[in-house]
Amino acid sequence: MNAEPRRPDGASSPESVGPADVGPLGGGPTGPGDGVALTAELRRELLDLDAWGGILTTYGGTMRVAVALTDAHGQVLGRCYNPQPVWTMVHDAVPDAAASCPFCMEGPTPCTAVADAFRTGGVVMSRDQAGLTHVAVPLLLKNQQLGAIIAGQVFDRFPDPLLLRRVARDAGISEHDLWMLARKQHPVSAATLKASGDLLYALGQAFLQQRYSMILEATLAETNRQFRLMVEGIRDYAVFTIDLAGCVTSWNGGAARMLGYAEAEIVGRNYSCMFTPEDIRNHLPEDQLHGALLAERGEVEGTRLRSDRQAFLARVNITLLPAQAGGDPRFALIMEDVTERRRTEAALEEVRQERLRSQNKFLSHVSHELRTPLTAIYFFTTNLLDGLLGEVTPEQSEHLRLAVSNVNQLKNMVSDLIDIAQVEEHKLSVEPKQVNVVRLIADVLQTCETNAAAKKISLQSEVALDVPMIWADPARLRQILINLIDNGIKFTPEGGSLTISSRPVAENDGCLCLSVRDTGVGISEENQGMVFDRLAQVRPDDEPSRSGLGLGLFIARELVTRQGGRIWVESELGRGSTFFFTIPIFSMARLCAHVLTAANLAHGHVTLIMVEVQVADGAASLGVLADIRGALERSIRTGPDLLLPPMGDADPFSPHFILACTGAVGGQRIAARIRRELQQLTVGATLTARISTTTLAVAPDDALPSQTPAVAGLIDRLVRVHTLSGETLQ
Amino acid sequence: MTEKSILIIDDDQPLLVGLSVRLKSSGYKTSSAMDAVTAIAAAVKEPPDLIILDLGLPGGDGFVVLERLKMLATLATIPVIVLSARDAKESRQRALDGGAVAYFQKPPDNHEFLNAIRHALGESSNALATFLKS
Repeated sequence: MNAEPRRPDGASSPESVGPADVGPLGGGPTGPGDGVALTAELRRELLDLDAWGGILTTYGGTMRVAVALTDAHGQVLGRCYNPQPVWTMVHDAVPDAAASCPFCMEGPTPCTAVADAFRTGGVVMSRDQAGLTHVAVPLLLKNQQLGAIIAGQVFDRFPDPLLLRRVARDAGISEHDLWMLARKQHPVSAATLKASGDLLYALGQAFLQQRYSMILEATLAETNRQFRLMVEGIRDYAVFTIDLAGCVTSWNGGAARMLGYAEAEIVGRNYSCMFTPEDIRNHLPEDQLHGALLAERGEVEGTRLRSDRQAFLARVNITLLPAQAGGDPRFALIMEDVTERRRTEAALEEVRQERLRSQNKFLSHVSHELRTPLTAIYFFTTNLLDGLLGEVTPEQSEHLRLAVSNVNQLKNMVSDLIDIAQVEEHKLSVEPKQVNVVRLIADVLQTCETNAAAKKISLQSEVALDVPMIWADPARLRQILINLIDNGIKFTPEGGSLTISSRPVAENDGCLCLSVRDTGVGISEENQGMVFDRLAQVRPDDEPSRSGLGLGLFIARELVTRQGGRIWVESELGRGSTFFFTIPIFSMARLCAHVLTAANLAHGHVTLIMVEVQVADGAASLGVLADIRGALERSIRTGPDLLLPPMGDADPFSPHFILACTGAVGGQRIAARIRRELQQLTVGATLTARISTTTLAVAPDDALPSQTPAVAGLIDRLVRVHTLSGETLQ
Repeated sequence: MTEKSILIIDDDQPLLVGLSVRLKSSGYKTSSAMDAVTAIAAAVKEPPDLIILDLGLPGGDGFVVLERLKMLATLATIPVIVLSARDAKESRQRALDGGAVAYFQKPPDNHEFLNAIRHALGESSNALATFLKS
């Protein structure tokens, strides 16, 4: 007989049979509740026929029934135990009997009895007209269907005469002999079979549980063995455990190799023996365990000692191991010797720095060599352009203007070369001042006008006239804008436009947001992320536009970031790009915050001292200016007084301001000190100083801190008035 | 008022030509020297009203020339403007400390450069001075 019936296609799928409380049929990785994964392999192992053979044969022999084991789909596994001769005879005589359950004449898989058993989770008995009776017993593990046992017998009563005749004919015996043969099997009654089904159920479940725990134990033992072997076999890491007091409780081969202690000599000793005496004095061993106890894990790097007191650099990972039954928690330490790696890293860094230095030197040299001929070209072309060597025609003039514009571009590129080296060495210098953006942008537009005009690109500013003063390095801000505009011109076709705009305040973070919008080719989304990268130049291949060094945006990003802003681009292919960047707004309050403290305001007065120094004609230079500021610095007390940075962005000789927190006459004393310092200054020229003071009384009450913004605002207005009055005269 | 004289010390011949044309057209008399020794000799022989000094010179570094000029009583008061291709960050402070009145990196902007010259020669209307006199 064939005990492996084929599953008819389209038959009710076993997955749809089980109700929710029985759990998923086969294939489901986990059962509800305990998260045990019944993998296909585990299922196979649990239903191993050799293991089940004994119990099924004994049961079948005792009950005089045939027994078979099925999987979670109701498919009979392997063979049928204890098949009686009559049963085999009947089974073989029925056409297509093999297609389904060996106890059913025909029908789907799982057969009705098995399906019902799966659905109800209990024993189900079924009888048919052929006198075939069988009992299906589900096997459940962790609420998941694993399989079923089917027990059955034949002819427990007189069967359908037609069936009896057919089987007798196929078997070559008379109907009477067949029936007598069947009677001789002493078929058990349906009631007994049903009762034995309950026994089979208990038996099956018990055996399944036993088999399951046996498999689990074997697996666990194997895992443990493998884990032990693995930990033991780790050579490059020291892996060991310590208790809460720091005493070593286990020690692997890698630890023995790295630290030089054998397992027998270190277990039980405190792990502090691996620390330097200085670290021990500083309680480092305890502190690190304490930290790991609080955070449940920790990673430290430091010097450790081998058993021969040789020092090495170790990186240690400490993990808190949860307490096991009846014990305290412990720590697992994984230690790696990183001495060599750190040495290599340091050597690599040294090589990198050396490479940067020589690159910087080379760029510096190139820049120097380029600047000299560039200067001669600049003088010749501007001389011609300005008509110093005779009249030029309008066309000649136009060409000369382009030549000068190109010289300026070259000049910027040469500057970029130097900047790039400094970016890499983190040396790019930025000296912030109070800057009038509107004026600076007007100046930038003038610089870029020729370039734009050459490509018939209109260049305009939409920057509001009342934008606040910003806190930036004017030369660097100029450079950022020129780089962005040059970039825009480069990628905008003839007849396009470029617009500089300002947004009042970006994200309320005290920054002004400036933007440069072009009507150029645009940048695809994937390229937007890399336009600020070094040497990036994203350009359509068929666009033979003017090339650059591809450094402009990289430097722009660096300059914006260095000044406390950020830069980004928004763009659409074919419609143009807008580059945005933010730059901090000048805030007198922020500048003065560390001086206008409650303690300083408690002096009762705030004095603003304005110092205007006139230098004899011809002697004014940046050097003299630095000397003057040095003298002012010496005249004030750090803490309660502050020398404000130069306020005018154009004229370095604008007045100097000092903010002082003083008593009623303190301002006069500082003024006298300043006068004295300036008189002692030897700059090889006559200095004439005019010093004026404005003293404000501050209320000596508890509300001092809240006065700070008001005082800063007042100082701001005073400084602004003076600065602007100077500017209007330029 | 007589023309003010400017001595240009630079070893680049084309630059001397180009700059001289510019300065002459602005009303100055120019002379030139292409190395350190000649430069000092020229300045001693006929002290100019202003000196434009390059830093990389044959026969002596521009800083040495600056130092010598400041050491000689007759030349010490002549304003010196440094015009160099060198990295401004490194050389500017040293030049100013050495007594130069201004530092320009090549190529300078004509307008700013001439302003500085006028300023150094006391011809400018310095904003501060105007403000104070008003």
